[in-house]
Amino acid sequence: MTQVILGQVLNGIIVGTLYGIIALGVTLTFGITGIVNFALGQFMMIGAYAAWHLTDVVHLPYPLSVALAVLIAGLAGFLSDRALFQFTRNNLVNGLLVSIGLISVIESGALLLYTATPKNMDFVLSGSWTLGAITISRMKVVTFAVLLAVIALTWLALANTWLGRATRAYAQNPEAAMLMGVKTEMLQVGVSVYSCALAGIGGALYAGIYSLEPSMGALFILKGVEAAILAGVGNLAGALVGGIILGITESIGALFLPTAFRDAYGLVFLVAILLFRPSGLFGGQK
Amino acid sequence: MSAAWLLVPLYLVPLVSHNEVLLTILIFTYILGILAIGFNIVFGYAGQLTMFHGAAFGIGGYATFLILSKLGISFWLAMLPMFAVILLLSMLVGWVCFKFRLREFYFAVVTLAFAELIRLVVLNWNDVTNGTLGLLVLDKPTIWWPGRGLVKIDGTVPWYLLTLTVLCAVTVVSQLIVRSWIGRNFAAIRLNEELAQTLGINTFRYKMLAFTISNVFAALAGALFGFYSNYIEPAQLSITQSLDAIAMVLLGGMGSILGPVVGAFLLTGLPHVIEFSAELRAATYGAILILVILLMPRGVVGLFSRWRHVA
Repeated sequence: MTQVILGQVLNGIIVGTLYGIIALGVTLTFGITGIVNFALGQFMMIGAYAAWHLTDVVHLPYPLSVALAVLIAGLAGFLSDRALFQFTRNNLVNGLLVSIGLISVIESGALLLYTATPKNMDFVLSGSWTLGAITISRMKVVTFAVLLAVIALTWLALANTWLGRATRAYAQNPEAAMLMGVKTEMLQVGVSVYSCALAGIGGALYAGIYSLEPSMGALFILKGVEAAILAGVGNLAGALVGGIILGITESIGALFLPTAFRDAYGLVFLVAILLFRPSGLFGGQK
Repeated sequence: MSAAWLLVPLYLVPLVSHNEVLLTILIFTYILGILAIGFNIVFGYAGQLTMFHGAAFGIGGYATFLILSKLGISFWLAMLPMFAVILLLSMLVGWVCFKFRLREFYFAVVTLAFAELIRLVVLNWNDVTNGTLGLLVLDKPTIWWPGRGLVKIDGTVPWYLLTLTVLCAVTVVSQLIVRSWIGRNFAAIRLNEELAQTLGINTFRYKMLAFTISNVFAALAGALFGFYSNYIEPAQLSITQSLDAIAMVLLGGMGSILGPVVGAFLLTGLPHVIEFSAELRAATYGAILILVILLMPRGVVGLFSRWRHVA
C-alpha cells in the first residue's frame, strides 16, 4: 500500500508541475498586466498541437519541435497581446471576457485544423525506470525535470537580473517603477508573451505523454488558476508548490475516495485553504 | 415608465412572422435573458462577480424535472420545492463566501469551485441524473385556458408567449428591486463596501440577497430551458453556461434592466443568422464578444443613452 501511495504521490507531483507552469503564467500576467488570461490553457493547446505536428507530421526531432512549439506559442501570445490584451490592462472583467472570446476562437481553429479526434504522438522516449516497486515512465521524469528547470530559471532570473527586479518592482508599485525608468509597456508585453510561452512549453511536453484534444486547455487553466490562488497570487515559487500540492491532493484523493470526483478534491482543498488563509498558503500580495 | 413596456410590442411578433427559426431564437433569447438579468443584479448592481449562476441554471432544470417525475405533480407546483433547494444552496454558498469576506477574484473562484462540485455530483449520480447522457423531458407545463381547461404548452408560438410573459414578470420584479432601497444598498456596496458598512448597511445580508435573487432567476430560466428543449444534461451546469451569461450582460450593458436581454439576443441570434458550420459559429461567437468588449465598453445599450434613461 505504501508503494501505491508513493507512486500516486510521484504521479501527482508530475501532473502538478504542469499545473504549476500554467499557474506561474497566471501569477505573472496578473501581477504585471492586472488580468487573468483564461486563454492560457489554449496557448498550452497550441504548444501541444505544434509539438505533435512538428514531430509526427514534419518528422523533426522531438527536442527541436518542443523549442519551435514554444516559439509558436510565444508568437501567438505576442499577436494576442497586440491585438487584444493591450486594451484590457488592469481591467479584470474585460480581460476575462476577451480571453473567453479568444478561447472560442482558438478552439474552433484547432477543431477546423485537427478535428476532434484525439491525437497520440509516437513514443519519443519509451520505457520506464523502476525504483523498488514503483515504475515511472521516463518521459514523465524528463517532463518533470524540464519544467522544474524552467520554473527555477524564471525564479532565478526574477531574483537576480535587472529585468527581474524591474518586473518585481512594477508588480509592487507601478508608478514608482515607472519613475525609476522601467519601460512599463515593454515589460507588460514581455510578461504577457512569456506567460504564453510557458504555457506552450507545458503543452509541448504534455504532448509527449498524453493524447491531445482541442478542448484540453479548459482543464489546465482551471487547475492553473487554482494552484496560483492556493499559493497566493503573486508568489512565483508558490505557484509551483501550489501546483504540486494540487496534483498530489487529486492523486491521493482519487486513491482513497471515488475517482469520478478526482477534480473535486483539489477544489475542496482550495476552498478550505481560502477560508482559513484568505491570501493563499504563502501569503503573497493581496 | 417601466422597462417592461419596451417588451410589450414583442407579443405581436408571432402575428407578423411565422418564421420558426426567428421565433426559436427569440424563445432562447428570453430564457437566457432571464438568466442574464439575474446575473446583472448580483454583478451589475451589487458588484459581486459570481460564477454560481450556471450551476443554479442547471439545478433549476434537473430539480424541477426530478421533483415533477417523482411526485407526479405539475411543472408549476414542482418549481416550488425546486426554489426551496436553490434558496438553501444559495444560503450555504453565500454564507461561506460572505462570512469569510471573499471578494472579487477570490469570490469568483470559490463560487466557481462550488459550481464545479455540484456539476460533478450531477455528472456522477447516475441512478438519479442518468450521468452524461442526461434526461429526456417529455412533460410540458400546462396552463388553464378559459373554455378549454388545462392545456399543454407545446409548439413554438405557445412557448414564445410563455417565455415572453415570464421575462416581463422578471423584468418588473427586478425593476422594483433595483429602484427600491434594496437597489440603492446594492449600489452602495458595489461602489464602496467599507463606506456602505459605516453607513449602517448590513452588507452581509444584502450581498446574500443579491446572490440569492440571481440564483433564483437562473433556476427559473434553467427550468424553462430544460422543458422547452426537452433535454437536460450536465453541460447545462457548466462554467460555459456561467460565462455565457456574463458575456450577455457585458455585451448588452451592465447595470441597465434590459441590457442583458439585448446581449442575450445578440449572442443567441447572430451566430445563427450568419450560416456557418459549428466550428465557425463558435469562432464568430468569440469574435463578437471580443469586438464588443473592446469597442463598446459600456455595451450595446450604452450606445443609446436615451434608452439607458428609460431602462
